[in-house]
Amino acid sequence: MNDARPLRVAIADDALLLREGIAKVLEGGGIDVVASVGTGDELLEVVRRGGIDAAVLDIRMPPTYRDEGIAALEAMRAEGSTIGVLLLSMYATPEYALRVMGAGSGTGYLLKERVSEPQTLVRAIETVASGGSVVDPEVVEQLVKRTRADDPLSRLTERERSVLELMAQGYSNGGIAQTLFLGLKTVETHVRSILQKLDLEESPEHHRRVLAVLTLLGER
Amino acid sequence: MAPGRKGRIARRTAVIVVVVALSLWMEVAGYVATPTSERLEVSYTTLHAIVPLVFAACAGIAWRISPTRVPARLMIAFVVLWIPQSIYYVIGGIDWLWPIVRGVDLWWAVIAGILVLVYPKGFLSDRFDRWIAGIALGASVVNLLGVLLLASPDAVPCDCLSPNPYQVVDAPTVFAAIDVGYRLVGVILALVIAGRLLVRWVRASVPARTVAFLMPLALFAWAITLAAQAVTYAAATTADTVLNTVSLIAIASIPVSFDAGVAHARNMRARVADLMRITREGADRGLWAESLARTLRDASVRVYWWDEERGRYADAAGEPIDAADANPRGSHSILPVASPLGAPIALIRHDRVLTDNMRLLDGVSSALRLSVDNGRLRSEIERTLEQVRQSRQRIVEAGVEARRRIERDLHDGAQQQLVSLGMRLRLAANAARDTDELQLATELESTITMLNQALRELRELAHGIHPSLLSSGGLALAVPELAGRCPVPVVVDVQAEGRLPELIESTAYFVLAEALANVAKHSGASRAWVRAHVVDEELLLVVRDNGTGGASLDAGTGMLGIADRVDAVGGTLELESPPGAGTTLTARIPLGGPLSA
Repeated sequence: MNDARPLRVAIADDALLLREGIAKVLEGGGIDVVASVGTGDELLEVVRRGGIDAAVLDIRMPPTYRDEGIAALEAMRAEGSTIGVLLLSMYATPEYALRVMGAGSGTGYLLKERVSEPQTLVRAIETVASGGSVVDPEVVEQLVKRTRADDPLSRLTERERSVLELMAQGYSNGGIAQTLFLGLKTVETHVRSILQKLDLEESPEHHRRVLAVLTLLGER
Repeated sequence: MAPGRKGRIARRTAVIVVVVALSLWMEVAGYVATPTSERLEVSYTTLHAIVPLVFAACAGIAWRISPTRVPARLMIAFVVLWIPQSIYYVIGGIDWLWPIVRGVDLWWAVIAGILVLVYPKGFLSDRFDRWIAGIALGASVVNLLGVLLLASPDAVPCDCLSPNPYQVVDAPTVFAAIDVGYRLVGVILALVIAGRLLVRWVRASVPARTVAFLMPLALFAWAITLAAQAVTYAAATTADTVLNTVSLIAIASIPVSFDAGVAHARNMRARVADLMRITREGADRGLWAESLARTLRDASVRVYWWDEERGRYADAAGEPIDAADANPRGSHSILPVASPLGAPIALIRHDRVLTDNMRLLDGVSSALRLSVDNGRLRSEIERTLEQVRQSRQRIVEAGVEARRRIERDLHDGAQQQLVSLGMRLRLAANAARDTDELQLATELESTITMLNQALRELRELAHGIHPSLLSSGGLALAVPELAGRCPVPVVVDVQAEGRLPELIESTAYFVLAEALANVAKHSGASRAWVRAHVVDEELLLVVRDNGTGGASLDAGTGMLGIADRVDAVGGTLELESPPGAGTTLTARIPLGGPLSA
């Protein structure tokens, strides 16, 4: 992280109240809010002008109030922008999380209510701005709750399951170690064991790991 | 019934043969026994003998066609009672018999009168008729007693009688008064009956009149000759042979006109029945007008049907009614036919004389009303059904729309507000913490936790009302997400290229949601399968489980709700759920059905 310069962030949400609130929260967390717009298209304009590190945007925006936020993310990636993008949603929808992860690295998907947890929000923006991935724990919880007769998760130990859930949320090995109060080596061992048990490949790109884990959880 | 009917016919034939034989034999015997000087002309005697034969023949017919057996029995009685007039020379020497015969020798006339009274129904249909019949019978009994107790051998001008053994007193004046009085009562009654018949005939229908004119005519002729005979009898002169001949012919025509009238009425009923049958079979309008003309025996009949669209009457070929026909003068009348609710159906232009035949025209209007009402009801039911179908679809669409709107209102309103509120509380909590107001900060933080719990519940609620994923991602995304929420593991297979009409998507979604809820609640299954395929312009939904089975479309509101949803979009639902062998629910929803319109 470049500590000398605060992160420059653009916000897109059709609810003015929320937009201002998010700006306040981020500014309180030492983040520069350089643009605040109401639609995905306007955000794309801002991104094209350059000079921002990350964007926070609502999924449901005008004109159709469906998935404009994700469409804007996909448009940015298609135009070659690699800035961090954090999508906010009223619902924890795994299908959306998968689509967001599928758009590439530096993406995140959080429930809107996380704005009342400034640390979570700020950390998520920092993560996506640095090319990491963030998935709301609620989404992971939903996916893990899905039950199957021949559940591959049943092959995991309790500890491995906790590690897997954090992997799915986009935590790096270091982050997992910190969260679970484990040594980095221990976490790496757990991760290797999990990937082996679940028949997943370790990917050099962090977001691919998240995507793979989410996909596995979703298709399980 | 066949043997009973055969037996009845045989019995009746035997009765007729017996009375005819008796009548002929008596007639011949009477003629032979009469001294040559006293004999009437052979032609008259023959005619006299033919009258009962006519009655006997008509009895045979009346037995078959009359509504009751009374007329036929009266005719048979007539044949028997016709005999006494001509057999005094045969029985005059039998002293105990002739007064009785003399007492009943005019009863045939009473029978003939009653026969006229029972026309055409076969029974005495009103009080007045019963009074007349009662008076005639009473007078006949009085006359019989008068003859028995008072008659002397002079009572029959044949010089052939023995003394009357029953005679109590020889009072020729009293006897003559009774004898002549009886005949006068008879004449008066006959005239009353004839007058009554005439009134009825004038009021009757034209076709009925054409046949039934015989009856009053015969009765009048008979009554007049009877009067003349009574007068000549009172004057003790011999009646004219011509007068007697007219009288015989008039009497003989009574049963004939009786049968003819009844037969005609039957024929008329049969033709109206034909019209009803044609009506019931839904014949076309041209054919109907033809049958009507046949029924009414009026070739000039025209039927003009009400044309709802153009607001006018037109014939079967669509030619509108012209002004001359609509307001006919002179020979024709117009009969408007309307439905019970007053809606116009048709105009029948007919010969004015038929106006008198209101009962027939009433029957015809009823038939027409029935026919049109049937057709109208059928098309009304079809139209109503279509309206119900459309309105049900609109209701379902409105329901889907309402759900979407509520979800969006929650999303943009309450949820947004609560999120903002949470954020502000957080800022306040942070500020409180910064100023070391720890108690306030803790209070605010626990409020945030509660608020987030409320948000969570609101989120679940909004999702249940309308899943936003369905709007944005269609069945392909929403169904797997739905299946993921089911506590029973579900294998999902969705193959629906692109997006389907919104109403179909939401119907399918909620059908699957309710089906999976049933699986979770009732089936006891450990596994379920959901398939959503588009096959041949149809969305095929299959929800299968390995549970206990025994589900039914009738039991439980869950299944009913599913059936209603599928029905509303013109789809079909099948449920296969043998006990112990799982449940398979199959719904087929047409994609190109009423929804595409």
